[in-house]
Amino acid sequence: MRRWFPAALLLLAVGLALYPLEATGYGLRVGLQLFMWIALAQSWNLISGLTGYVSFGHVVFFGTGAYASSLLVVKAGLPWPAACLGGGLAGAVLALIIGWPCLRLKGPYFAIAMLGLNEVMRVIVSYYEGLTGGGNGLSLPTLDASRSIYYAMGLVAAAVTAVTYAIVTSRFGLRLMTIREDEVAAEAMGIDTLRYKLYAFTLSAIGPGIVGGLSARDQGYIEPISVFPLIMTITMIVMALFGGKGTIWGPVLGAVVLFVFQEAVWARFVYLHQLLFGAIIVAVVLMMPRGILGVLQQKYNLPRTI
Amino acid sequence: MGVLITPAMVGQVVISGLLAGSIYAMVALGLGLIFGVMRVLNVAHGPLMMLGAYTTFWLFQRFGLNPYLSILLSMPLLFLVGLGLQRFLVRRVVDAPELSSLLLTFGVSIALVNLAQLAFTSDLRSVEYLTGSFVVGPFALSKPRLAACAFAVAITVASFVFLRLTRLGKAIRAVSQSREVAQVCGIDVQRIHLLAFGLGSALAAAGGSLVAVMVAIQPEMGQVYTFKSFLVIVLGGAGNYPGALLGGLLLGLVEQLSSLFLTAQVNEAVAYVLLVLVLLIRPTGLLKGRV
Amino acid sequence: MAAILPPILEVRSAVKRFGGVAAVNGVSLALEPGRIYGLIGPNGSGKTTLFNCITGVDHVDEGEILLKGRRVDRLKPHQIFHLGVGRTFQVIRVFPELTAMENLLVVTTSGYAEARRRAQELLALVKLERLADEFAGNLSYGQQKLVEFIRVLMTDPELILLDEPAAGVNRTLLNELLDAVRRLRDQGKTVLLVEHDMKVVMGLCETVFVLDHGEKLAEGAPGVIQADERVIEAYFGR
Repeated sequence: MRRWFPAALLLLAVGLALYPLEATGYGLRVGLQLFMWIALAQSWNLISGLTGYVSFGHVVFFGTGAYASSLLVVKAGLPWPAACLGGGLAGAVLALIIGWPCLRLKGPYFAIAMLGLNEVMRVIVSYYEGLTGGGNGLSLPTLDASRSIYYAMGLVAAAVTAVTYAIVTSRFGLRLMTIREDEVAAEAMGIDTLRYKLYAFTLSAIGPGIVGGLSARDQGYIEPISVFPLIMTITMIVMALFGGKGTIWGPVLGAVVLFVFQEAVWARFVYLHQLLFGAIIVAVVLMMPRGILGVLQQKYNLPRTI
Repeated sequence: MGVLITPAMVGQVVISGLLAGSIYAMVALGLGLIFGVMRVLNVAHGPLMMLGAYTTFWLFQRFGLNPYLSILLSMPLLFLVGLGLQRFLVRRVVDAPELSSLLLTFGVSIALVNLAQLAFTSDLRSVEYLTGSFVVGPFALSKPRLAACAFAVAITVASFVFLRLTRLGKAIRAVSQSREVAQVCGIDVQRIHLLAFGLGSALAAAGGSLVAVMVAIQPEMGQVYTFKSFLVIVLGGAGNYPGALLGGLLLGLVEQLSSLFLTAQVNEAVAYVLLVLVLLIRPTGLLKGRV
Repeated sequence: MAAILPPILEVRSAVKRFGGVAAVNGVSLALEPGRIYGLIGPNGSGKTTLFNCITGVDHVDEGEILLKGRRVDRLKPHQIFHLGVGRTFQVIRVFPELTAMENLLVVTTSGYAEARRRAQELLALVKLERLADEFAGNLSYGQQKLVEFIRVLMTDPELILLDEPAAGVNRTLLNELLDAVRRLRDQGKTVLLVEHDMKVVMGLCETVFVLDHGEKLAEGAPGVIQADERVIEAYFGR
């Protein structure tokens, strides 16, 4: 089992790298978006799957990254790769600012705080109209870079997954998990839970920040409603939950499966689609809270590195 | 922003704040009951309120039923919905880690909102029943707000009478304090959980019915109330039922007062800033609750 | 008689209230290093609350707690831990989805290799080496108890607080635990245990504190305590 996995992974990576040579514009878009969802679901997993602190407003980092990087391109003239990294940084800074007060408390209170965060960001964006274009949105100089963005998104997706792997196999990751298992005991055993939660939270904001920037670059235009939509948080959560939160490949699996369904079937019926996502969340929590990979892990006694 | 602020303006704002706050208080009491008894944060609380508002709308639309009378129907209806949600869904995660119940009610809230979208469309609805204001001295008292406040106060008082004086109410308070002790005293904790969720939902419905007369009704209308109800619980202290009243009134006051100084858009963020402040300074709430 | 050393732990008039009730009401005690102390009292007398206050899980409303002469009553649990205090819990709190080995590794900040070595050492001490890679949640009650016990020892704390170590444990295992505690004392560590099993307390502890209704009722050698009328009354009377 162990032996063919890296080989298969390499083959897959090569295939994905060569894909743009054959793909249509639409096909490229699809691939790019799939990578984006993988990065998002995996990032959500870093905080919510590992520490058990549910982040209901994670899209806020996506939107912040979108705006930060777009502003860097439009106002500061930065090339988009650097600007997108700036978007990631913006996400991380926001996470620190929000996390420092809000992670001090137990899970439910953190969840409450994250729930309202979306609204605040939209208000802030509207308020600084002069800078962000407010409700009118922000346009980026036209650019046909779909292929580059495809690769960039793929890199981010791979990077976040690699970081997750590194964390889960380290003592740092173990400490994060103790917060999920029993925070009081973790504190009593000398783990500074606030610090660890902050690390995880900040890390989990970088991916969405970069990806937000890339997405904005790809679309060429952003406005508050398009980069802070609740459906994005919902989708991130469903994907990670379905595939298996707290695992390494779970969010990837969930992203792939649900994205395929989304593209092929549901996206045409918006409300039905969201309703189904809500129902899936309920079903997963009740029937397989550890997601598909989690169930397989338990059943076949697979290692944690799945 | 060189607007002169007169005492009359402040007075007006205080009145508006208290009127609005009474509804916040009632709806938050519902959330507080659920959280206090079961330690479940009902993310679907706003959508439940929304369903109450739609109930009132449809009864008004189809049968011309007085919106304030429709409360007699929306409350029991949503009480049953709440019972169903608890019995078939929430009950199974009450003892699971907190993130399970959070995710579950989150999923339910998405489902409810989108069911409403499918059933009612996102067209804005309204109930044109009571408009205008009474003018008392320098103050204008909006009629629908006044009526809403009156009903909210009545329902809240009735709730407190129930909690203080009846056997079931005392049982609810007992379970809120300590589930184990309540069980040992022979209280059927499962039944109390059901009751609490039903009552909480009914209170949300009442809130929905009352605001139906004042705001535009659409499937997403409840979301902001979910957050504000949470905020009220944090303000008043988790598990502290009188605290929910204080918190609700306080929120109403703060929102209206800050509208004097801030633009409407920014005012939306006031509730959020208030939350972060309270979490930082006094997380157990203004009147002590249990974190 | 040995020279009296400065106390490793001092609790001065600690008061902790919950609502209107004082769970701990003006308790004072001092622990000398290198001895085994017992904390007994009827249910609800405030023993676990006192433990929680000492370890930072809760904070006293009045009074002071000093560790090696330094005030710790406002510190967070993880800070107190790093000052050399370890504790177990009344209801076992191992991390169920971590393996026994991981439960131990998570606790230390020393290098990975060294931590692993020490963990293996401790696991061997309680004869659990073969279960090192088993999820802690899958272990039996007694095994979890042992893991929780050696987890406390991973960082070599000077003060060890044990909350009902004998609860639910069979005789053989109990004797092993008690021997381990005695060895700790011989190494110069201080142990304070909360316990209901009188035989354990009498056989193990050098000094016993008795709490009742949040107040310290008596303090002294086990034999003296056993004969104290007030203690007897607290347990059986009223």
